[in-house]
Amino acid sequence: MHPEVVAIKIPASPIYLQVIRLVAAGLASRLEFTIDEIEDLKMAVDEMAAYFTGTNGRDGTIEVRFEIKDDCLEITGAGSFAPGEKVRTDLTDFSRMILETVTDSASLQQVNGTPTFNLVKSKSS
Amino acid sequence: MNERATLSKDEVRTLFTEYRQASDTEEQLALRERLVGQHIGLVEFLARRFRNRGEPLEDLIQVGTIGLLKAIERFDLDREVEFSTYATPTIVGELKRHFRDKGWAVRVPRRLQELHLELTKVVGQLGQDLGRSPTVAEIAEATGSNEETVLEGLEIAQAYNFTSLDAPIDTDEGGSTSFADQLGEDDEHLENLEYRASLAPEMAKLPERERHILYLRFFKGLTQSEIAERLEISQMHVSRLLNRTLSSLRQALEEQ
Repeated sequence: MHPEVVAIKIPASPIYLQVIRLVAAGLASRLEFTIDEIEDLKMAVDEMAAYFTGTNGRDGTIEVRFEIKDDCLEITGAGSFAPGEKVRTDLTDFSRMILETVTDSASLQQVNGTPTFNLVKSKSS
Repeated sequence: MNERATLSKDEVRTLFTEYRQASDTEEQLALRERLVGQHIGLVEFLARRFRNRGEPLEDLIQVGTIGLLKAIERFDLDREVEFSTYATPTIVGELKRHFRDKGWAVRVPRRLQELHLELTKVVGQLGQDLGRSPTVAEIAEATGSNEETVLEGLEIAQAYNFTSLDAPIDTDEGGSTSFADQLGEDDEHLENLEYRASLAPEMAKLPERERHILYLRFFKGLTQSEIAERLEISQMHVSRLLNRTLSSLRQALEEQ
């Protein structure tokens, strides 16, 4: 069976990250994640999305796809930006440390010229 | 913190004199611990005056303890005033500042503030009963609400973080008593990372407690609930402190 997918597109601004966090938490809750796991997931989403939104927001959009699998949630974010917006796609050591702790896998890269992040978080039991 | 107010005024003054004269760090910490123990009742009393504002009492006591520690450091023995008289405005000031700086940054309806408070309690209680972090469904059942409401309540914790983007990071906030007990852990890893990530100046600005929470979460691999238990604060407070710290570090890195 194909995993079910929820997709949302938001402006690349920190203001809208709350929406992404809420959706992530809602879906994780359906999979019966614990509060600790949900907090981890939200932290990972914040960490990744910050690369696209910056502190003050950027001219562009982020499309976030949530794939709901049996015991894990996979989140992919693809950024689309106005020319001239500089978006880095290499994780800092600090981000890597955070993401290694709070997710099962996390990556940030250019996919066909589109800055893209990917996160996988599974349930502990 | 077993020793509570058992000393007379004069004995407290003697304790202060010993504390000021102590040259050995360990001795100093032990004496400070006794001074805190003597006045923790005052902190609890003052913290209770703020308990109807949507914050768990234990978190308020922690904030008040920070005020107490500041007062202990600043108290001038040459003055005739009693220490408790001197400390009260400092402790109250710290509590007020907590609400002003870290309180509800965006206007949050009272219903949600109350929900947040209830969740804070229930998450801790269920965690103890279950021996693991609870699920949203379990919290909903325990609070007699639905999952959506719980999710909303959890997200509200983030409302605190909106201020942090603008607020300067406190440099003198660290050092609650339960935290002071744990100092001396090996922070070598954190230093190594600071160096690699050129975060050193930003890390140095963090209050000790926030640094310690970072260390426990990302190097010791403790969960938020485990950290909460260890520092005797609520899991939601840990979440808030962690998120605030990360967002300020993130911003600092971006500006580099």
